[in-house]
Amino acid sequence: MSNTHRIWPVARGFVCGLVIVYMLVPLAIVVIISFSSAPFLTFPPPGFSLQWYKAVLDPVWVDALMTSAIVMVPAASLATTLGLGAALALQRPGFPFAGPLRSLLMSPLVVPVIVTGAATYGLFRFLGLQGTRTGLVLAHAVLSIPYALATISTSLQVVDPRLGQAAASLGSAPLHTFFFVTFPMIRAGVFSSFLFSLVISFDELVVSLFISSPEARPITVQMWSNIRGDVDPTIAALATLLFLFALVVLLVEAVFGNGQADK
Amino acid sequence: MMSKGLLAVDSNDSTLPAANLRRRTFLAGAGAAMASAALPISAAAQTKTFSGRKLVYVSWGGVYQDSQKLAYCAPFAAETGARVIQDGPMNEAKVRTMVGAGSPEWDVCDVTDTFLFNGVTNNLFEKIDYQIVQKNKLAPDYAQDYGVGNCVWSYNVCYSTKAFSNSNGPKTWADLFDLKRFPGKRMFRNRVYATLEIALLADGVTADKLYPLDVDRALRKLDTIRDEITWWNTPSQSQQFITDGAVTCGVIQNGRAFDAARKGASIAIEWDQNLQSLDYLVVLRGSKDVEAAMHLLNRSIQEDAQARFVNATAYAPVNPGAFDYVDKPLQPWLPTQPEHAKLGITMNAMWWNSQLESLNERWNKWRLG
Amino acid sequence: MLGLPALAFVAGVFGIPVLLFLGKAFTDPSPGVQNFKLIASDTLYVRVLWNTVVVSGATTFFALLLGYPFAYTLANTSPRIRRLLIFVVLVPFWTSLLVRAFSWTVLLQPQGLINAMLVGIGFVHKPIELMFNRTGLLIGMVQMQLPFVVFPLYSVMTTIDPAYVRAASGLGASPVRSFWKIYFPLSMPGVLTGGLLVFVTSLGYFITPALLGGLRDFMIAQLIHDQVADIGIWGVPAALSILLLAGTFALFGLAKAAGVRTK
Repeated sequence: MSNTHRIWPVARGFVCGLVIVYMLVPLAIVVIISFSSAPFLTFPPPGFSLQWYKAVLDPVWVDALMTSAIVMVPAASLATTLGLGAALALQRPGFPFAGPLRSLLMSPLVVPVIVTGAATYGLFRFLGLQGTRTGLVLAHAVLSIPYALATISTSLQVVDPRLGQAAASLGSAPLHTFFFVTFPMIRAGVFSSFLFSLVISFDELVVSLFISSPEARPITVQMWSNIRGDVDPTIAALATLLFLFALVVLLVEAVFGNGQADK
Repeated sequence: MMSKGLLAVDSNDSTLPAANLRRRTFLAGAGAAMASAALPISAAAQTKTFSGRKLVYVSWGGVYQDSQKLAYCAPFAAETGARVIQDGPMNEAKVRTMVGAGSPEWDVCDVTDTFLFNGVTNNLFEKIDYQIVQKNKLAPDYAQDYGVGNCVWSYNVCYSTKAFSNSNGPKTWADLFDLKRFPGKRMFRNRVYATLEIALLADGVTADKLYPLDVDRALRKLDTIRDEITWWNTPSQSQQFITDGAVTCGVIQNGRAFDAARKGASIAIEWDQNLQSLDYLVVLRGSKDVEAAMHLLNRSIQEDAQARFVNATAYAPVNPGAFDYVDKPLQPWLPTQPEHAKLGITMNAMWWNSQLESLNERWNKWRLG
Repeated sequence: MLGLPALAFVAGVFGIPVLLFLGKAFTDPSPGVQNFKLIASDTLYVRVLWNTVVVSGATTFFALLLGYPFAYTLANTSPRIRRLLIFVVLVPFWTSLLVRAFSWTVLLQPQGLINAMLVGIGFVHKPIELMFNRTGLLIGMVQMQLPFVVFPLYSVMTTIDPAYVRAASGLGASPVRSFWKIYFPLSMPGVLTGGLLVFVTSLGYFITPALLGGLRDFMIAQLIHDQVADIGIWGVPAALSILLLAGTFALFGLAKAAGVRTK
């Protein structure tokens, strides 16, 4: 069956290529539109213009971007940390009420966002968190915890518990065991959780619409706020800039992070 | 030269509105909006001061809200010393929650006609103080117990002048259902409100016999062209579809058609049977400064404020007196312009509110097929 | 304990306010279980729930189909390519929903790029309907959900010791056999987690179906949103939310049982 030796890599390569195209082609269109001279979305663009990049520099957009950036990092950190703790706790055999607890922690994933939005809004008003960046951080963290918990739990599942036991029998303290045995094995899971939480926070719309205010207005709310009007290529320019920013981060990490074991 | 009921804006014709409009900057600031006939000094020039007081004004964002800010809120703030803060976009669920909990952080909101009546049923708004708001400036329908009319807009038949040359496009709702004479995909709004009226009018029901709506009949009529309809969810999509040629004709809001035309689209709209709807300004129940809010509402209906807003958006004024100050090129786009108003049919939002649940249910079932 | 912070946080910020809201299922408009009876007897809800499950299931299926080979590559390739692939799969998050919807229109509409290509190379005679129907919706949804299936799979696959597969080959098993008997079961936790995350997240979608789908492609979250926002009723949406929670928890339970068995 030497054919299968060749088919799988080829098929795999094809699928990966397809996925890459699938992800990038819509983005390519967005990038092209960002340079359009037309004040509305149309393809192909009638002419070339940089006006939308100038439009993005407007304080309204810059503030919104800053808010999103300032909110997503703490939100992701909080979600990942709490998710990690919960995942570690819940995987211990015989943990009381593990099932119901896990369900509770996963429920933000299931409850419809308008319900979460209205409920959280009511609570935050009462607590004085309504319309604050802190409120946004907390709300986004709650929405990300299910992903963090699920991903890290899955990583933990495949860690051989005997490794931990072996380390302990060799005299390693629990914290030591965690950092030097367990954590390296779930590093990919923790990293994924953090990344997930970042993008979930950045892309979150419905709950943010409830929690936001003129003082705390994330980018998703700003992009959504022209409900009755026409969409213009400003958001295309924005998307392109973000993509470039991520690309730069990637390149910097590739150049300076070289030599370090990745995940 | 406009033939009755027809307004075609072709980007090649420099004598038509589109050319004039492109030379204008629509949101260059309060000063620019007075480029036409000198606007009247507001007769209700505020002598009262509200200095130190604050109002939060909420609307639908974008150019629409910016225009309201410049036309109503900024003059009000300048004249009275109050601070008017913009927030939004309008979020019905949020309004319900904040009023229910008491002490709403929003004071004045721009709401749709159906939400006005729904809000009245659910006790969301303060009663309008017509001692402060000058009722006589408004046509009677526009002064409701709990809301003050803000602007009138309409759903119109539209078509691409590329697909159909000037006189060959659909003119009535019935024409939109005629696939033979007017081939191609047509666009409708993915919302039951207004769509049923359109179907009934297309099926021959006269305006005076429209309500209560015969839902079955309307849905049967829609079934006849169901597969040829592209449904738009956001107003922006309606502009896109007709501009890009994804559809050849369909249902559009007058403001969107105006915007598409001035951006160079080959679009024409008809005024026959135009369906008119209204937006209202309301004061949320429990607002911390109802008095100041009422004064802001009153400021918004003054001729100069109305004219400024209309000149920027092509939504029609609720104060007929404002017409004298509206830019001439815009008049053909306005639903309350006398000729268009005669052809127009105002939707019965009160009736809709009484039937919301059952109508939505039947609509959703029809959608599933 | 480790799990406590997460529990307190989710319970406080999310659990209690949402529970209060969900209580309305039994009190709004009047006490009792009429809301549930209504849902059970009204074909609209049954059909929309079914629609939602079908669309979510299809999204999950295709996401796994594309994501599995992609994750495999991610786990078994050089750090450099891995970084690039991670970057690529996260690209959709940088582009706002509104402009991405337009991109898909450009690509998928009858006079769009993909149809132009298909007709041009003679693959089809006339344009196929790829937009404003279930096909367009799935294309859009799978693109957004791919990271949620790729990352859990990847974090599990990195822990699969290639020695196992090599051992199987060494013992004479064909590549197909060693994959199915050794590799796939080991990757199962990732499949289950990724699949669940995608499925449950998809259940809550309503904006994407409105922008990309057809007339009949509306999901349960849309009904819930409309009732809360436009009509102002809370009872039925709350009851629907409870049903969604119940169904999802049952699914979690099933997945856990399946996961235990593959060990």
